Amino acid sequence: MMFRATFLSTLPRPSRMGFPSVLLCGLALFHLGCGPGPQAEFKFRDSTVDLIGDANREVKKTLKDNFGTPQTLVAWERFPVEYGGVKGAVTSIGEDKSLVVTVDGDPKMIQQKDPLIWISGSLVGEKNATSATVKSFDPESKKLVLEGAAVAAVGDRFAVDFGKDLQDGRKIYMKNCMHCHGVSGDGAGPTGEFLNPRPRDYRNGTFKFTSTRTGEKPNRDDLDRIVRYGIPGTYMPSFLLLGDHETAVVVEYVRWLSIRGEFEKRLVAELASDYSKTAINDAASKAEAAYKEKVKNGEAAEKAPSQSTARQNATNEFKKYFTEDYPAAIEETANLLAEYWNRGQEAESVVVPSVHRVNDTPESRERGRLLYLSDKTKCYTCHGVTGRGDGSATEDFWPKPNSSEKFSKRGLHDEWGNQLKPRNLTLGQYRGGRRPVDLFRRVYAGIKGTPMPAFGGTALKDDEIWDLVNYVMSLPYTEKQPSPAASSHGNVAKREEKSAH
Amino acid sequence: MGRFWAIFFGLAAVITFVVSWISPGMNWWFPGDQLAHSTLGGKIDDLFYLTMVIVAVTFVATNVALVYALWRGATIRSDERVWFSHGSHSLEVIWTIVPASVLLFIALYQLDVWAAYRIKGFVKDSDGKPKQIVAVAEVTARQFEWRIRYPARGKTLQPKPQPDDVYTVNELHIPTGDLVSITLRTDDVQHAFFIPELRVKQDAVPGKLIPVWFDALETREYEMLCAELCGWGHYKMKAKCVAHSVEDFEAWKDKASAEQFDDGYRQPVAE
Repeated sequence: MMFRATFLSTLPRPSRMGFPSVLLCGLALFHLGCGPGPQAEFKFRDSTVDLIGDANREVKKTLKDNFGTPQTLVAWERFPVEYGGVKGAVTSIGEDKSLVVTVDGDPKMIQQKDPLIWISGSLVGEKNATSATVKSFDPESKKLVLEGAAVAAVGDRFAVDFGKDLQDGRKIYMKNCMHCHGVSGDGAGPTGEFLNPRPRDYRNGTFKFTSTRTGEKPNRDDLDRIVRYGIPGTYMPSFLLLGDHETAVVVEYVRWLSIRGEFEKRLVAELASDYSKTAINDAASKAEAAYKEKVKNGEAAEKAPSQSTARQNATNEFKKYFTEDYPAAIEETANLLAEYWNRGQEAESVVVPSVHRVNDTPESRERGRLLYLSDKTKCYTCHGVTGRGDGSATEDFWPKPNSSEKFSKRGLHDEWGNQLKPRNLTLGQYRGGRRPVDLFRRVYAGIKGTPMPAFGGTALKDDEIWDLVNYVMSLPYTEKQPSPAASSHGNVAKREEKSAH
Repeated sequence: MGRFWAIFFGLAAVITFVVSWISPGMNWWFPGDQLAHSTLGGKIDDLFYLTMVIVAVTFVATNVALVYALWRGATIRSDERVWFSHGSHSLEVIWTIVPASVLLFIALYQLDVWAAYRIKGFVKDSDGKPKQIVAVAEVTARQFEWRIRYPARGKTLQPKPQPDDVYTVNELHIPTGDLVSITLRTDDVQHAFFIPELRVKQDAVPGKLIPVWFDALETREYEMLCAELCGWGHYKMKAKCVAHSVEDFEAWKDKASAEQFDDGYRQPVAE
């Protein structure tokens, strides 16, 4: 008894403050957990970070000036993105500086205190700089009174609430998409690295499942379909219940992110050969090696500049480049992207079969099967003889694009450097959609950013593609044949022989 | 201090009761218009309300007893004789038999509703014949969406995909009137198929094909969601169940089928 008593007395007595302090701890943790996270920011590419000091700074500044940050987006009108807002033009000006205007959209959308910018005339400002706010607007008489604005001229065009849809799109994106696709659309969101296949990195401007021709950008309908119906067989779920406006604005935001990313990529590519650390160091070490070689051979040679000198030279050169050529490089890149995205939206860019689907008869499937196994298409090299995606190409080591190096892993890779399995055609799971026209487009225009080539127009005629589609679509429903890999062991064949006799 | 606890527990009970009482009026109750929109759901609601009444009576009675005991204990005079109830045989017998009989009653009373949900042939027509169950679709839950496969018009649902099957995602279309059944499965982890307004909820278990039947009384859209925390994107699994009239359902299926088998060919516009 004595022992127990002394033992108990050595235990720490529960403090009277025990419960309140636990409660306080809990509240503190709760606050930490639910507080605002770190501020979202657009990340720059590795190649941008690799640029030398001045070039690095200027490219980042250009991106920030023209696209902004996730908190303050900048809508660059040059690009074919529906930034939102109501546009209109001045038809007459009253004595009290009030304007009578025509409005392109719904006049009721113009509200008091909405920001207004001028998009033509003498008052045009910088990108999204707000030059005025709406003091009052009467949707009936279309009389517009502005606050603190210089006098406009008749015929000047303006936009009210410009960029509203882009902002809405960002909200939807940050809530639903950022988790995987990342704030900058680089496919490196918090969950991104755990997914296979990896979430798309939009910044190359390449999208896999489109209705457009080879090399063309996707159109709005393509992105809309993906958002609404998802991509079966991947982690991209369907967002069917998002709502029409929400879907439309998030598609615009993705287009904008993609344009931002590709703008950065192209602009940096322009500079990288002269002004990136890697290029300068490579050149310096090559010159060094050449100098040493010459000295060894006893030839007269000029000492190669050191790496720091080379970098200093490049910095000086960049100053000249920056004033003379850099603005033109920005213009060119922007023009090119605007042209690409505009062209992707045109009706001519969409792959439309010139003939109806060939009747899905056994004969058509047989023609398709022979095409599948022919050397004209070589479908079997990747998708396998039985269509299970186990072709011989998956066993090879493939070279990296624009490089003599090979990928460290067997099999095919996509543009983003991820290992890529050829689709198993016997599952009946079609990532780009299961409509016959979807499969037709996959064969006709290929799958962008992947080794799936385009057959349309050149290698295969439209009715041949339909035969192929009929054959591929029949694969999930035909008896599974043993794959040649299995029968090569002879077991399957032998067993069949035995049972026949 | 004793009186404080008597008042504290008394007030807690009163507040709980009042909040529960006004809940339906404040729309803190069932979703939508708070009514079940299926015949099976009506039965579930009847059971629920019966249980609710039993529980409410028990709750009020036990709380009255609790507050009385606390108050008596706090206000008892030091010279008053106490009643020590611990070990009272008759009390033990009473509060064993009364709850047991209540539970037994509920267990027997709910058998019909359970059978209607789980055993074929237990949902009857007005003339007493077992209602027919129409298999409309196979619903596959996956992280984080619902993929749905229907048989082609005029065909029955097959366990394996057929070339003419119709597919939708996050939209379950059903005809009203008949009892419809879905085959519930999951591609990955455990999910739960839940249409609150139709009072139907069933876990989707990996490796199992689970038939679930229900009916919808009105042609309209019902909220459909996942009721099992299935991963970080659980909240994304919102979908809808669209109930059509029988004719509209067939018309919808024709339209969906035509869209799904679209070959993309468009007659060139004559210029």
